[in-house]
Amino acid sequence: MKRKTVFTGFGLLIVLSMLLAACAKTGGEAPATTTKDTFIFGRGADSVQLDPSIVTDGESFRVTGQILDSLYMFDKGSTTPVPALAECKANEDATVWSCKLREGVKFHDGTDFNADAVIFNFERWRFTTHPYHFASQVFEYYEAMWGGFDDASIITEVKKIDDYNIQFVLSSPMAPFLANLAMDMFAISSPTAIQKAGEAYGTPTGGCVGTGPYKFVSWEEGTEIKLVANEDYWGEKPKVKNVIIRVIPDDSARFLALQAGDIDALEQAVVEDLATAENDPKLQVITRPGLNTSYLAFNFKIKEFQDIRVREAVAHAIDKEGLIKNFFGKYGTVAKNLLPPGLLGYNDKIEDWKYDPELSKSLLAEAGFPNGLSEVTIAEDVTDADGNVVYKAGQVIPLRLYYMPVTRFYFPAAKEVGEGIAANLTAAGFKVELYLEGDWPTYLGSRRNGLLMGLYLLGWGGDNGDPDNFTGYFFGSGTQPIKREGWYQNAELAALLQKAVTLPDPAERAKLYSQAEQIMHDEVMRIWLGHNNTPLILSAKVKGYITQPVGAENFEYVYFSD
Amino acid sequence: MAKYILRRLISVIPTLIGVTLVIFLFQRLIPGDPAVAMLGEHATEENVARIREQFGLNRPAFLDRDALVEGDLPGFFDSQYVRYFSRLLRFDLGDSIHRRIPVAQTLKERFPATLELALLSMFIALLVGIPIGIASASRRNSWLDGTTMIGSLLGVSIPIFWLGIMEIMLFSVFLKWLPSGSRLSPGVSITPVTNLLLLDSLLTGNFAGFWDALKHIIMPAVALATIPTAIITRMTRSSMLDVLQEDYIRTASAKGLSERVVLYRHALKNAFLPVITIIGIQAGSLLAGAVLTETIFSWPGIGKWVYDSILGRDYPIVQGVTLLIAIIFLLVNLLVDISYALLDPRISYD
Repeated sequence: MKRKTVFTGFGLLIVLSMLLAACAKTGGEAPATTTKDTFIFGRGADSVQLDPSIVTDGESFRVTGQILDSLYMFDKGSTTPVPALAECKANEDATVWSCKLREGVKFHDGTDFNADAVIFNFERWRFTTHPYHFASQVFEYYEAMWGGFDDASIITEVKKIDDYNIQFVLSSPMAPFLANLAMDMFAISSPTAIQKAGEAYGTPTGGCVGTGPYKFVSWEEGTEIKLVANEDYWGEKPKVKNVIIRVIPDDSARFLALQAGDIDALEQAVVEDLATAENDPKLQVITRPGLNTSYLAFNFKIKEFQDIRVREAVAHAIDKEGLIKNFFGKYGTVAKNLLPPGLLGYNDKIEDWKYDPELSKSLLAEAGFPNGLSEVTIAEDVTDADGNVVYKAGQVIPLRLYYMPVTRFYFPAAKEVGEGIAANLTAAGFKVELYLEGDWPTYLGSRRNGLLMGLYLLGWGGDNGDPDNFTGYFFGSGTQPIKREGWYQNAELAALLQKAVTLPDPAERAKLYSQAEQIMHDEVMRIWLGHNNTPLILSAKVKGYITQPVGAENFEYVYFSD
Repeated sequence: MAKYILRRLISVIPTLIGVTLVIFLFQRLIPGDPAVAMLGEHATEENVARIREQFGLNRPAFLDRDALVEGDLPGFFDSQYVRYFSRLLRFDLGDSIHRRIPVAQTLKERFPATLELALLSMFIALLVGIPIGIASASRRNSWLDGTTMIGSLLGVSIPIFWLGIMEIMLFSVFLKWLPSGSRLSPGVSITPVTNLLLLDSLLTGNFAGFWDALKHIIMPAVALATIPTAIITRMTRSSMLDVLQEDYIRTASAKGLSERVVLYRHALKNAFLPVITIIGIQAGSLLAGAVLTETIFSWPGIGKWVYDSILGRDYPIVQGVTLLIAIIFLLVNLLVDISYALLDPRISYD
């Protein structure tokens, strides 16, 4: 009997510990009060760095967007750039932009925001010889958005007129100039902070220093980043004093944390949890407009894909409506342009390829494959980054469909979509091998080297709401085969896009981007699948959360109310 | 004994060199490049090349044969591994590729979180596993024995992520007793001494902090403890069953000693050797296997960190953590061997 008691005691020990711990809830610091002055956002992954000029991941911008301001910003809930730290006007040919800087603004470290600070930032990003343009860092967005570094930069000079007036001199007109200025990557950091921290600026130890509504407090790597309201903020004062951006890697655990009241908002929820949230009065689901496109791409080093009839057969084989309905749910819409609807140049006149497996079969037969297509031939030697031949000309390989190994905001269920497409293609006479190339870095690496040798899934999310950031980024350099775009080449399209980015008149630009969409459609060069609105789940008490199609969402508008 | 320990400690060195070689080889066999992982969808050829050069990833992994052909001897040895190893000799684990901060620094911050979790889990496993194993063996084929066997089978088979989610649903969402994750509530702080929060809070007399830390650690610790508890229970039971059939146990019982004395003083000591071996193995596995628990409970330890680093091809982090885990495995094994001698006078290392 005595022993039994001992054993039972041991068995109950854990439960008792839990009870004991639970009893202590009323003692010590009371986390309950934190919901009033602390907004906790749950996310799946940590920021890479808090120096926005050297990163490309949304999780870094989510944080830097609270701490740093750009010269322009995107208006609430839109892609329209509006003045933030500066107001700029262009000269007649749009090659000189004169900007009046906001006066009386200070960085969080107490130093002045002025012309010198802006010039320091732009020169640091542009000049590879700048003492704070470190060799270990890649200022990717500067290079991508402003044409390159050093002499290749479209911004040839940032002139100081006086302490609060500057001029940007451009080598050629650039239509998305203000939209570029509004991007999170071109937010202005305190030069003093960069000089003080050196290469550690933006790291968990260095943090970052800007003029934004929140100040950096601490970063526990992989766990959480703490921010505190900037009482001297020049704009709308933050309503919540503290912000914690917490990493909860597991999707289900993140949702449970929201249900338990441990966090106030989250992104990246699984479909089942979204359904639960929609029916839970304590929660609310809001969506971010989907400025993104998912697609199925062809690798043009495959001989069969060089025949437009085969590409068209693929296009008619895919039941986009069904795929979107089943795998994107109510948050997705079918895509027929690379540009998402609402963007300048979106071509609504394009008639999407009809879902017609029988037509696919006849197109395949016409192209010389009456018995369907299960194997493909390599058109020319394909080499890897080190110059080794990976695929030899004439080599015959199975027809592969590469699916992404991860979920991305533009692809909520990449593998399932892959399986759906494979089933569609099979019904239309193709026999595809669903192919897992490896994990995400491997997939991206192979795509970059044009080695996804078949059909492959990928997508894109816009950075600044400008069509050049979609179409121009992808195909603007297509005078040569573009390796990372499945070796696609179209000089006419490239010339059109290169012209479109320089035109100052939006109407004229719209015409050219529309025309580009038509060319891409007529060529069946890629199959646009869907646009996905990103759902966010918030506690019902969270008010004032405004979703942004591009750029970081502003937590300063958030407040709590029953 | 001292000689033996010294000999064992010296033998750790070649083992660790072996570990570094294997890790280095395996990492480089996985396709994918740290530079591409770091630069993402936007990566340009030039930037990938620049980052590769910056971190020495453009050098051969082990030795440069081309340099040897050209008669360039220093070039022959100028490989990623030799660079890494020479840094290691200076106790420098290198910098993380993605965040560019010293691996040792992050390791110092994150390792205590995993250690604390593993220690508490082991404590729970021992506290529950050994007495239940003994009880089960002493009442073979009873309802208690049957329940223990089924329970331990479940313990080994229940996926940790499922158990973790169930714990959160019950104790955080429905009962609202315990927090769903992380190490401390916002606004609670504990002055760091060892970075083991439970210990530090007691050392500094911060009892509110202690309760908060306990509330946070209890669910992940229980989840992590399930497998070792089940294994220790089963091993204790089977080992005790063997010993309980020995003549000296019968003699002890016949002499009129109480069951408790027979079980705990006479039987357990002899039954404990295989259990200790298992405890040693489990202790190492707890450290290495905390990935799932840390992911579900957003626990800021090394498990999730090294998992992310493998995906991001952040070689220096993977190397640093693996090396640390290897060292701990070796030390725990050494401790296990020493404890044999302490428990069993027939075993001597001299």
